[in-house]
Amino acid sequence: MIRSVIRSFIPIFIFLVVWQMVAFMVSAFRGVPFPTPWATIMKLTALLGGETLSDHTLYRHLADSIVRWLAGFIMAAIAGVVYGLFAGWWRPLESATYQIVHILQLIPGLAWIPVAILVFGIGETATVFMITMTAFPPVAINVLNGVKRLDTTFVRAAQMMGAGQITMLFKVLLPGAMPSIISGLRIGLGNGWRVLVAAEMIVGAGTGLGYSIIQARWTLDYASAFACLCVICVIGLLIEHLVFNPLEKRTVERWSLQREE
Amino acid sequence: MMIRLENVSKWYLNDGKQSEPVLYELNLTIPDRQFVCILGPSGCGKTTLLNLVAGFITPSRGHVFFDDAPIEGPGPERGVVFQDANLFPWLTVRKNVEFALRLRGVDHNAMRDTAGKYLDLVGMASHKNAFPHTLSGGMRQRTAISRALALEPKALLMDEPFSSLDANAREHLQDELLKIWQHQQRTLIYITHSVEEAAYLADRVIVMGPSPQNIRGDMLLQSVRPRKRSSEEMRNATAELRAALDSLPCCV
Repeated sequence: MIRSVIRSFIPIFIFLVVWQMVAFMVSAFRGVPFPTPWATIMKLTALLGGETLSDHTLYRHLADSIVRWLAGFIMAAIAGVVYGLFAGWWRPLESATYQIVHILQLIPGLAWIPVAILVFGIGETATVFMITMTAFPPVAINVLNGVKRLDTTFVRAAQMMGAGQITMLFKVLLPGAMPSIISGLRIGLGNGWRVLVAAEMIVGAGTGLGYSIIQARWTLDYASAFACLCVICVIGLLIEHLVFNPLEKRTVERWSLQREE
Repeated sequence: MMIRLENVSKWYLNDGKQSEPVLYELNLTIPDRQFVCILGPSGCGKTTLLNLVAGFITPSRGHVFFDDAPIEGPGPERGVVFQDANLFPWLTVRKNVEFALRLRGVDHNAMRDTAGKYLDLVGMASHKNAFPHTLSGGMRQRTAISRALALEPKALLMDEPFSSLDANAREHLQDELLKIWQHQQRTLIYITHSVEEAAYLADRVIVMGPSPQNIRGDMLLQSVRPRKRSSEEMRNATAELRAALDSLPCCV
């Protein structure tokens, strides 16, 4: 027990040591102040204590980022799962649209900026649009492949019992493709988070963690930028532990379906 | 006449090219309530034949009839027990059996009762809340049988259902299957490559070989049940079936 706790702290420890060394060397050789882990933690504590950053508290930035992210991700997740189920089940839809989804996947998130600004103007909607566009393809492709790779005997068993199309989609293909669905959602969520931070830097929503990072750069408040990066990492870890791990335990592991690598 | 195959040929497409026919001009009629074993080496179309009757695939040429109506697809009047039990891993044993009942719109209590009855029949009632992966192969196959029975099908189609079980479990399940079949007789097609299994179970054994001549033998077994595995009669039937099989080229 104690040993495993220690073991899980080893990567964090290594990371902090490397960070400290980089900070030391940058300060020594380039003569610019590079925030050390300690300075970052102090700044983070101050920000968590209510210090404002670009006119707002850290909580406001965090909350705004999360709302945008979830809005974009939920749309992408629903669209991706529904598309993947239908396209995986119904060949003509797949052959008519698969190339499009593949091309979407190749477009880097930030390349949507001109499109987003042209269609929605600067602001919330543009950011949410970019998140949706980058989170959708991995979800769609994974779900589609998961459905196609599902053992045909499950489909036959369901047909033999008289399952109609809707039952097939939602009672057989959906749970059967669960391992692929989860890995698709994981990638989609990560993609969305990454493009969110970048989009906030450019599309300029006036709040958000990405916006704060880029603002901190102009004001040379690098410690705040680093503090925001820490918050971003923590959010990522929390999502993994509070959402995906329990979801996987309740479905894939409980049913003993193979999780694909 | 319940199941009828008329001049059925079946070939598959590989890269757009037709394979050699798996079944060729096959004619077969199976009357109501007969327990038919289809015996043959692997690769000679036994499973293809079963899949045609189940409606999972359609014949390339010819027709398959069930109660004089052409078979257009799978349906609950033809319950299938697959080689690898093939239960839904995301449902418990009870929910697996209830799946079909739910589709039929059976009300909640009736559904519980029916599922309970058929799970009881195969001795799985005490495991009804287990997930399939926690069960042994024999238990999974029992559940699969009870799932097929709960459809209350007119015919039961079984594709080497006990072939992956150990000898002990296999004999045990054979006996239980016979008991169930005698209790509520319905047409039963049972695919096997085991001579002993066919001789022990069937009213009628169809010996299959590779096309173009798929049906190589059609034997009625008259001996009364319960049969004794070690009896003289059994040994004679086994010997006769084995002789028919031995004349076939190996398909593998």
